[in-house]
Amino acid sequence: MTRSGSFQPPMSLQCELTVVSRIDIRYILTLSTSTLRLHFAEAGSLRYVRPPQRSSPLITHRLFTAFFVGFCMSSATVAYSAPPDFAHDIAPILREHCGKCHIGANKKGGLSLNTRATLLTGGDDGKVIVPGKSGESRLYAAVISRDPDVQMPPQGARLTDAQVAKLKEWIDAGANWDEGFVFQKPSYEPPLKPRRPELPPTVSQRSHPIDRLIDADLAKQRRQRPAALDDIAFVRRTALDLTGLLPSVESIKEFLADKSPDRRTKWIDQLLADETAYAEHWLTFWNDLLRNDYGGTGFITGGRKQISKWLYQALIENKPYDQMARELISPSPESAGFSEGIRWRGTVSAGQTVEIQFAQSVGQAFLGINLKCASCHDSFIDRWKLDEAYGLAAIYANQPQEIHRCDKPIGRQAVASWLFPELGQVVASDPQPERLKQLAELMTHPDNGRFTRTIVNRLWQRMMGRGIVHPVDAMQSEPWNADLLDYLAVNFAENRYDLKQTIKFIATSAAYQSQSEVIDPQADQQNYTYGGPRAKRMTAEQFVDAVWQITGSAPRTYDAPVVRGKADGLSPELSKLTAQWVWSTAEGSSAVPKAGEAITIRKQFTLPAAPTRAGGVFTCDNSCDCYVNGKKVFASTSWERIEGVSLESSLRAGNNEVLIVGKNGGSDPNPAAILCEIFVRLPDGTSQTIASDATWEWSSTLPKPDGKFAKAPQDWAKAVPAANQGVWGSRINGEVLTQLTHVALKPQRMVRASLLKADFLQKMLGRPNRDQIVTTRPNELSTLEAIDLNNAQPLADSLVAGSKTWVQKYASQPDRLVDNIYLTLLSRMPTTEERALSVEALGPSYDEQSVQDLLWAVLMQPEFQLVR
Amino acid sequence: MTRPVLESLDLFGSESEAFARRSFLKQLAMAGAATLAMNEPKLLRAESVEHPRPTADSCILLWMGGGMAAPDTFDPKKYVPFEVGVPVKEIGSTFPAIDTVVDNIKITKGFENVAKILDRGTLIRSHVLPDLGSILHSRHQYHWHTGYVPPQTVACPHLGAWMARVLGPKNPVMPPFITIGQRLEGVGESEELKAFTTAGFFGSEFGPMVLPYPDQAAQSVRPPKGMEAGRFESRQRLFQKLLDRSPQRDRMSDFQQQSYLRSLDGAHRLLSSKDRAAFDLSLEPKESAELYGASQFGRGCLLARRLVESGARFVEVTTEYVPFLNWDTHANGHETLVRMKQEIDQPIARLILDLESRGLLDRTLVILASEFSRDMIMEGKPGSTANDQTSFPVEKLAEMKHYGQHRHFTGGSCVLMFGGGMKRGVLYGASAQERPYVAIEKPISVMDLHATIFTAMGISPKTTFEVEGRPFYPTEDGQGKAVRELFL
Repeated sequence: MTRSGSFQPPMSLQCELTVVSRIDIRYILTLSTSTLRLHFAEAGSLRYVRPPQRSSPLITHRLFTAFFVGFCMSSATVAYSAPPDFAHDIAPILREHCGKCHIGANKKGGLSLNTRATLLTGGDDGKVIVPGKSGESRLYAAVISRDPDVQMPPQGARLTDAQVAKLKEWIDAGANWDEGFVFQKPSYEPPLKPRRPELPPTVSQRSHPIDRLIDADLAKQRRQRPAALDDIAFVRRTALDLTGLLPSVESIKEFLADKSPDRRTKWIDQLLADETAYAEHWLTFWNDLLRNDYGGTGFITGGRKQISKWLYQALIENKPYDQMARELISPSPESAGFSEGIRWRGTVSAGQTVEIQFAQSVGQAFLGINLKCASCHDSFIDRWKLDEAYGLAAIYANQPQEIHRCDKPIGRQAVASWLFPELGQVVASDPQPERLKQLAELMTHPDNGRFTRTIVNRLWQRMMGRGIVHPVDAMQSEPWNADLLDYLAVNFAENRYDLKQTIKFIATSAAYQSQSEVIDPQADQQNYTYGGPRAKRMTAEQFVDAVWQITGSAPRTYDAPVVRGKADGLSPELSKLTAQWVWSTAEGSSAVPKAGEAITIRKQFTLPAAPTRAGGVFTCDNSCDCYVNGKKVFASTSWERIEGVSLESSLRAGNNEVLIVGKNGGSDPNPAAILCEIFVRLPDGTSQTIASDATWEWSSTLPKPDGKFAKAPQDWAKAVPAANQGVWGSRINGEVLTQLTHVALKPQRMVRASLLKADFLQKMLGRPNRDQIVTTRPNELSTLEAIDLNNAQPLADSLVAGSKTWVQKYASQPDRLVDNIYLTLLSRMPTTEERALSVEALGPSYDEQSVQDLLWAVLMQPEFQLVR
Repeated sequence: MTRPVLESLDLFGSESEAFARRSFLKQLAMAGAATLAMNEPKLLRAESVEHPRPTADSCILLWMGGGMAAPDTFDPKKYVPFEVGVPVKEIGSTFPAIDTVVDNIKITKGFENVAKILDRGTLIRSHVLPDLGSILHSRHQYHWHTGYVPPQTVACPHLGAWMARVLGPKNPVMPPFITIGQRLEGVGESEELKAFTTAGFFGSEFGPMVLPYPDQAAQSVRPPKGMEAGRFESRQRLFQKLLDRSPQRDRMSDFQQQSYLRSLDGAHRLLSSKDRAAFDLSLEPKESAELYGASQFGRGCLLARRLVESGARFVEVTTEYVPFLNWDTHANGHETLVRMKQEIDQPIARLILDLESRGLLDRTLVILASEFSRDMIMEGKPGSTANDQTSFPVEKLAEMKHYGQHRHFTGGSCVLMFGGGMKRGVLYGASAQERPYVAIEKPISVMDLHATIFTAMGISPKTTFEVEGRPFYPTEDGQGKAVRELFL
């Protein structure tokens, strides 16, 4: 932290403000709220007047500004300039013209400008500045001098007249300095290129590369190696870290029964092989990092898009991270939500346009670089400059980007460029999609070690409780073990950016499989040294999932627009497709179907009961919009891209209607057809299939975009199966079956909290509003959160629901009940004492209430809430 | 969070306020240092920022969400009664002006009770809001409640969260930041409302306790439904016994575990304390409860009074913002406002009188405000690009539904301030007598109004926290200046 103050002119100065003829907009902007800023932006030209009274000039000036700026009064007579603001006006001049010799380690002539104190002390020849008196200040004399022996800087560009005037004004105003501001080159600059460190020798057979590095570190710090994690704690920690779920009692027993020496590795492999559990746990991490959610600010005005489908699929497939990054930076429509950011209706400050948001998000998510400061002015906290933030923004921009400094245009256009030209540069003159591709390549360039270090550090933090660079979004900071970070990064790249591989790499180390550190806050102030992994508080999602796991009270539906799990395998129940490709005519003759022709086709049908499970597949050559009972369920512009659509919540008992608006493409008549197959499971276990065929009807009347007709069509006629079904079917029928099986027949797993919009409990327990990228969840419980844990109704309701099952299962077997509660919640057996206490609390004839209370009392234990 | 609310607040118990405050700040500074490693925003310059001497210890914000039309409430203009064929542009107010207890102040009909207590407060008629180029109520409300126009690079804390963070609770067991009357689920723009009903980067320790229904507030501080007090206590005892016998006892010194347990303990103390009776409106004597009326807002005011009596720090009571309802009149404005006034007139007056009779008004700052005003014909303000959103853009009145302030007006609005060191019986600022009714005298921005509120509460507008390496202030760039003229 270097800049902590805000500029406040001394009172004397306020009363002696120089009268000048021009308007200093900077002053207005420095002082103004965004209110005034916006007024200014709209008002165009404006004047600034001296207030009638002088009692409290600053306040009154501002009030008048508000008024006059806002309402274009032009009767202004006198305007006057503001005193210079140190951080914005003076620091850049000193840095630019004096930095080479007098900043950081440089003290030419004994003069350092690093702090106000060193400036006032002066150099070998004495003082260079007399606050309040520019005429007596040698620094001022030197910058205006023409004498080559005296002038400063001795070589290079002189200060401009405006800069000289600012400097003079500043000295005369007392040479104020923002408190705490220090000029210095950052003491640490992270390396760009990857580096493969030499591994220290193996000690005590701990040969895992991470352990060789960590053991050497521990030895150097003279710290004890943390004790190894026992099996039970290992099982619990890995299950929660890798899949976000409590390990089931059966899986724990299986693990303990396995006596092979590599059972821990097998266990880790097994967890990571569960694609759905893995994806739905890590979804939370990625949603936070890419600020993706299923609801939130911006959606209401259409200013924001989800990337949920793309992201879910990427995690299910374990898509290589470099490919993910490329697809996020140079996106398809499915992944574009990340780069497009949040577009607010109305005026937005220059530091939050979507182009600047792009620069900030790309910098933070992929590089752990904070460009938020630099998108307003040259950063005071790291090396990033305004031009660099704008350069990145300009890669994304479709219009020229005028650089704004603190919301004020500086008269220069940004040039599309990225942050590390050492690796190459984008071609600023290329069209935007090209530039984005170039950026994607540069970001994932094999020599970009910062890209890989940033992500492995995030994974390390998630699993080990604290980053190797910490905080994880301040990657300019020095790692506590550079070799470890570099090794992980190189290893990650060598494993083709395989996220699961790195997670496994960490999880299989003895370092990870160690007991977590007992943290003494006093000993942890400045110089962190590694003393073992740190406990993590359960995320909101983990806690909610765990409650659902032990009470069976997860909801049936979820908000994420995804079909869960991996589409693979078929079911004997759905071995063949029954649907036919249909249109208004059978054949593509030379005249029909016309290019661009659109028709509506429908099917009305009844169901004896609301389905317990239902899914469908819709497609059309060339495009379609699909509605079920008046609700739009699907739209497609590519007939070959097949996707299952979940329909449980759309279909109902009684009459149902499927309506598809199909549109032909092309420029000449060409074949067109629609295909739809829906599979419905009814409560009695039977199934029903609704599939497009000659019983469907078509009409040339099209509904409005909401799926409703302005006037009911009168021309419904029978749909006609296409003459040559194989044209389409041969290419995609297999995929249609796979997707339909996936959406309608695959066993449903417990819905996970990560798939739901944030409800009150999740928000209370720290799930962020994903308006901004938030990569670190609060690690500590607040009192308000604790109140909710005590009395939140959803939690109480879950416990009520769950207690029934527990009581039924272990009626009049209090010992077994207690053992299983401990096993399920804490993954271990209770001690004799714990069992006795719990059994006593349950009472001789325990009921659901006493079980609820025991469940709660165990849920609240730190042993449950902290992942150790 | 390293500074559990309860621990730090024990300091307030027996000691003088001034001393407690000093110790508190010291504690806060220490907490700041301790959080360093935990990646939390830290307080900068705790020693060097000089907090003003507070003139209020509690704050109640009466929020008129949806845009309270100044000409039809506290800033009467030319009154023209409804008549078919009247050109809309000739109408200033749709309510006639009435006298108040203060000689030079007139307000509009329907506020007969507020008229009688205006000698207890200051009426500001020159509050200036930003015109954001397009009206989205919740975006303006975000600005008014946090001092920052969204989008922002960090999640900004609500006014109440600043008070919770810097001052902490007044009564150790009373949550320092409570909002009453606004649902955050199931209403339009709810995501946008949630975005500012939060402690933002301060973390949930300083976030709001949200009480959408005043009559159900008691449930928030009660054991869950169906759990009687005895069972609640025995459940707690079981938890404690299991904790004491946990095989992981050796972790008791762990920093994170300690803090976790402190928070749980704090929650239990509130849930079993006498003070939670304040949340229970059924305990209010019938006679005094009736004086607040039966409206949700009236019940909210009653609850706010009870909470402040029990030592709440910041309470917001809203008329609830729901798009197109309440103050958000896109049509039928006059008749809607007749109802709104019936719902709020009596409770506002009663709240002030009750605070006064209990000797609390002097140290309780009550503010009534809205995200902007409304106008019969002007959308935004002169020169605005905002789209006209009235449901019935007519030149002349034809039906009653045309009669009312149906456009959003950002050029000037009204604010009421009572107690807490503010002047009494005073009019501050003025708007133009002719349309556009922009603030022309002593305009006061959101930033300076906030600075005034913070200053009254004893928080310097320059208080600085660091988040992501950036200094962050309660008023933008620490530039807010309290309007001294408003203070006694």
